Amino acid sequence: MSDYQENEVLLSVRHLCQYFKFGKKSLKAVDDVSFDIHKGEVFGLVGESGCGKTTTGRSIIKLYDITSGDVYFKGQRIAAGTLSYKNAIKEARANAKAELAKLDEEVKANSLSKEQAEARKAEINAKLNATIKENKEAIEKANFDHKNCDKEFSERLLKEVDDKYLPLLEKAQDNPEELAKVKKEYATEKRIAKNSKLVTQIQMIFQDPIASLNPRMTVQEIISEGLVIKGIKDKEYIQNKVYDILETVGLVKEHASRYPHEFSGGQRQRIGIARSVVMNPDLIIADEPVSALDVSIQAQVVNLLNDLRHQMGLTVLFIAHDLSVVKYFSDRIGVMYYGKMVELASSDELFAHPVHPYTRSLLSAIPLPDPEYEKKRVRMIYNPIAEHDYSVNKPSLRELAPGHFVYCNDEEEERYKKEYLK
Amino acid sequence: MNNIDNILEVKKLRISFRTINGTVKAVRDISFDLKRGETLAIVGESGSGKSVTSKAILGILAGNSIIDGGEILFDGKDLLRISEEEMYKIRGDKISMIFQDPLSSLNPIVKIGRQMTEGMILKNKDNRKNARITFNSRLAILKENIIEVVGEDRRAEIEELCTTFDNFSIKAIELEESFNASESNAEEVIGLIKDIAFKVERKQKIDVKSDFGQIVAKSSKIVDKFLTRNHEHEALDFVNKLELAVKEYKTGEQEVKPESIELLNEYQAFLERLLGHNRPNFFRIGYYAYKNPEENIYNRAIGEFNEFCLQYLDDNFMKNFLKLVEVGVKNCSDKAVENKSKVLAELDSLKEFFGGKFTQKEADAKLKEFGDKLDASINKLDLVKDSIAYTFIGTAKLNVRDYYVNIKSNAKDQRRFDSQTAKYNKLVEKGKKPEWKVIPLKYVDPQNQIDNILAAIDRLKAKYALDIENAKIINFEEESVKQIDYFKELASQAVYKVTLGIAKEKAIKLMEEVGIPEPRIRYNQYPFEFSGGMRQRIVIAIALSADPDILICDEPTTALDVTIQSQILELINDLKKKRNLSVIFITHDLGVVANMADRVAVMYAGKIVEYGTSEEIFYSPAHPYTWALLSSMPDLDTKEKLEAIPGTPPNMIYPPKGDAFAVRNKYALKIDFEEEPPLFKITDTHYAATWLLHKDAPKVEMPKVISDRIKRMKQNMKKEAK
Repeated sequence: MSDYQENEVLLSVRHLCQYFKFGKKSLKAVDDVSFDIHKGEVFGLVGESGCGKTTTGRSIIKLYDITSGDVYFKGQRIAAGTLSYKNAIKEARANAKAELAKLDEEVKANSLSKEQAEARKAEINAKLNATIKENKEAIEKANFDHKNCDKEFSERLLKEVDDKYLPLLEKAQDNPEELAKVKKEYATEKRIAKNSKLVTQIQMIFQDPIASLNPRMTVQEIISEGLVIKGIKDKEYIQNKVYDILETVGLVKEHASRYPHEFSGGQRQRIGIARSVVMNPDLIIADEPVSALDVSIQAQVVNLLNDLRHQMGLTVLFIAHDLSVVKYFSDRIGVMYYGKMVELASSDELFAHPVHPYTRSLLSAIPLPDPEYEKKRVRMIYNPIAEHDYSVNKPSLRELAPGHFVYCNDEEEERYKKEYLK
Repeated sequence: MNNIDNILEVKKLRISFRTINGTVKAVRDISFDLKRGETLAIVGESGSGKSVTSKAILGILAGNSIIDGGEILFDGKDLLRISEEEMYKIRGDKISMIFQDPLSSLNPIVKIGRQMTEGMILKNKDNRKNARITFNSRLAILKENIIEVVGEDRRAEIEELCTTFDNFSIKAIELEESFNASESNAEEVIGLIKDIAFKVERKQKIDVKSDFGQIVAKSSKIVDKFLTRNHEHEALDFVNKLELAVKEYKTGEQEVKPESIELLNEYQAFLERLLGHNRPNFFRIGYYAYKNPEENIYNRAIGEFNEFCLQYLDDNFMKNFLKLVEVGVKNCSDKAVENKSKVLAELDSLKEFFGGKFTQKEADAKLKEFGDKLDASINKLDLVKDSIAYTFIGTAKLNVRDYYVNIKSNAKDQRRFDSQTAKYNKLVEKGKKPEWKVIPLKYVDPQNQIDNILAAIDRLKAKYALDIENAKIINFEEESVKQIDYFKELASQAVYKVTLGIAKEKAIKLMEEVGIPEPRIRYNQYPFEFSGGMRQRIVIAIALSADPDILICDEPTTALDVTIQSQILELINDLKKKRNLSVIFITHDLGVVANMADRVAVMYAGKIVEYGTSEEIFYSPAHPYTWALLSSMPDLDTKEKLEAIPGTPPNMIYPPKGDAFAVRNKYALKIDFEEEPPLFKITDTHYAATWLLHKDAPKVEMPKVISDRIKRMKQNMKKEAK
């Protein structure tokens, strides 16, 4: 079990679905994924390319409008999809129709009197209407939350600012100098609060450092862009902040006036990290931050992320496909396969007792710097069609041991449990 | 030393790149060799020169590259010196490459199938022509050698024998050509039938008239009597039935009737049966047919006929001919050995000559004179070409030329520098501050070229000494059989014709081999329709389509994820075993190396810093850079902080003095900053360039992280063994 399990839940993803439409077809990139990330922990997300791990990350930070499910950040819903409610309405309608048809048959067979039938009909309709109303409200609420989560957040911040400064203003009423100063501060804070967004507390680090940096901006501009958008106009403050951050990520002041192309791959990735850290985020989504780097540079960047995490108390959603790095860096790991979360456990637990066949095949594919071992390593091949029979018994994510979840059905659960106890 | 097993040898290779900021020394003096059927991994950070090396082997360096020196020896040629036209024949054919990004090595607007078959067809055309030419020239040499021994008076007899050999080979070729043509037509028909069956299976409508028409047209070309022996009527029957069947269909796309499908299936089974029969040995039959042109050779059972012809050939011709060939080969070899010892005697004086002072004219004359002798000392009937002897004169001439070019350019630059300095000083004396600076001297040491020549002489010396030693134990009887076999191979190469249809079937087989599902659909798709792993498989299939001897893999799995990576690696390993490929594997991932490599070369800043078998590199690494690489990657049990290598690789425009890694190396000694370490020998196969191995160096243990890991690995191994 990870040490952060006691902490509050920072990010909670519930039944997240993200479908992409291609004409009439739709691609289920992420299909009903749920997990929690606790404050201070590193949550690793692994899987082969195209399994939806990056999409999950991007959906959380609202780069996509999610199809269904909810994302809660610090207890507030920041993204919500409506498909599940729409489906519920559809289902309720179909059910009601079927029941009405059955009723008609019964009337025809004379087993029911007309009054009774009428009563039953009214009952069914009332039930249907209630469901529809309930779901429609839910849809409205979801849409409202999805759109206005930032507004609510900034309103709350504004209120906090007001609470803080109004007494101060009153206090400084007699002293005109003090008053002017406080008023100025008040105005600045107010502006910042107004421009603040809840989502900016989640920041992202991208895979390809050169593609994610604007080649026409200097490092200073790149790093400070977020601050400027937030409404900070104090140039000196911005400059100092940039210098501070550069130092934290292992670069020097002089780098601030240079352009991205003047840096090596590792340094570029540091700039990307600096840009996300400068906003003082609570959660960082690191989307394959070391995949494009050389081995020696990889170690530097992983060490940097590790240091930052302890210094600033960051929480990280770490998306990668290099399992050794994920194992090293993460507290808990979720394994995804074709849009589904197939196994979720603390990292030691996952590597010691992998249960799902896909996880096992994934672990058997890790190359290690040991020639003897490599010669004997047998890669397990995962074939979902041969492995599972979900035609009758539908699978879901179930808790096998404390903190260890596996995607399986009843029969498999029993089998896995037996294997696990061995 | 110069093992016959070495398929590729790289000697003292130096490459630099001209850039705006100066000359980047990308590869600095590296040597390695590649044995047949082994995998050599080259490991290093980006910018260490590993890709440049591989590109130099393939002759695809960028335009601003300068080859400062060295040799890449392959099949009697120095790949750095041959013309683009010759390189064109080697590239992709003998040496193939898989690049890091599969999409960039595929043409986006040409269908996959076309891209796969292109190489096969091109190569085949070239092969046929070359095989014929080689056949003729070798036979001529052999003939002269035999006559030399047996005397001029038997010339007529020998010439007749050789003509017989040539003629019956031609007869055999004719027979085989006709057989092959029919065979390939049959294969194509099977391919067409499979295509139709595939479409029917997917419930697509097809244009029956044209598709069946093609089958009928191809079938009418299956006429070789060896192939259709005793089944001519059946074959005709099928064609007639098909023609009848076609008449029942209208033009345009439509569904195929089940009875037609049945007919096709039967036809396919029939053809497969035909192809499955014993293949006649045309070389033997050719002789019989040549001697008995009247006899009908088609109605005898193949197995028995093969045996009979063998006996006939042996009795009437081959035994006699083999003896003569043996004489000829022995004569050729003896002559070569004699000349070799002459050359060997002269090498010392040649070395002295180039060690001292000489003019260009003298050097050219000397090389010309020596070149003739060297040429005489090469055994022209050798099956494996002697790269070192063949390339010697070219290397020497080029280096002599460069030597004088350098001397001249140095003098010119000195004059330029002097006049510029004078001008600058004059201005300073006048009290002005010039806005320009004197460009520093650009001095190229001509001694480099002399060193190259001397090294080449040394190599030749060692090689010839070895050859003379080996010549004593040659078994000429075996040798002559090998010669005849080689002639046979050449003859059959000269007739093996690949048509588009065969190429397609071959491509589809290859696609199956590399694990692409539904190759018949995939054959007609464009590269963008493939996923990353599939694209890389296609690239591998294309690289293998020409059946190369050497496969260079430049980070083939870096862009792929773990599962696909391990599939691709398994695939390369399998194919390597199946085809006895030699692989050069370039990567920065040590985990992958452990899986693939037989031997590993670790490169840093354009030099090989450690070189050994993969067990030696992973279980007893000796160079601090290898330690750093190993300790900077986490494995599944790593808990402590990673030991990242501080800093970045050096700027190779100004290569650092001493050991290039010294600045980033926490084990660096004082001498590391002053003098470059040589390659110290640890075992026969394990070398490392670090002063730590010097006998006066302080004892330094490898970092604890690595020693712990090695201990753990060994324990795990023991546990599993139990």
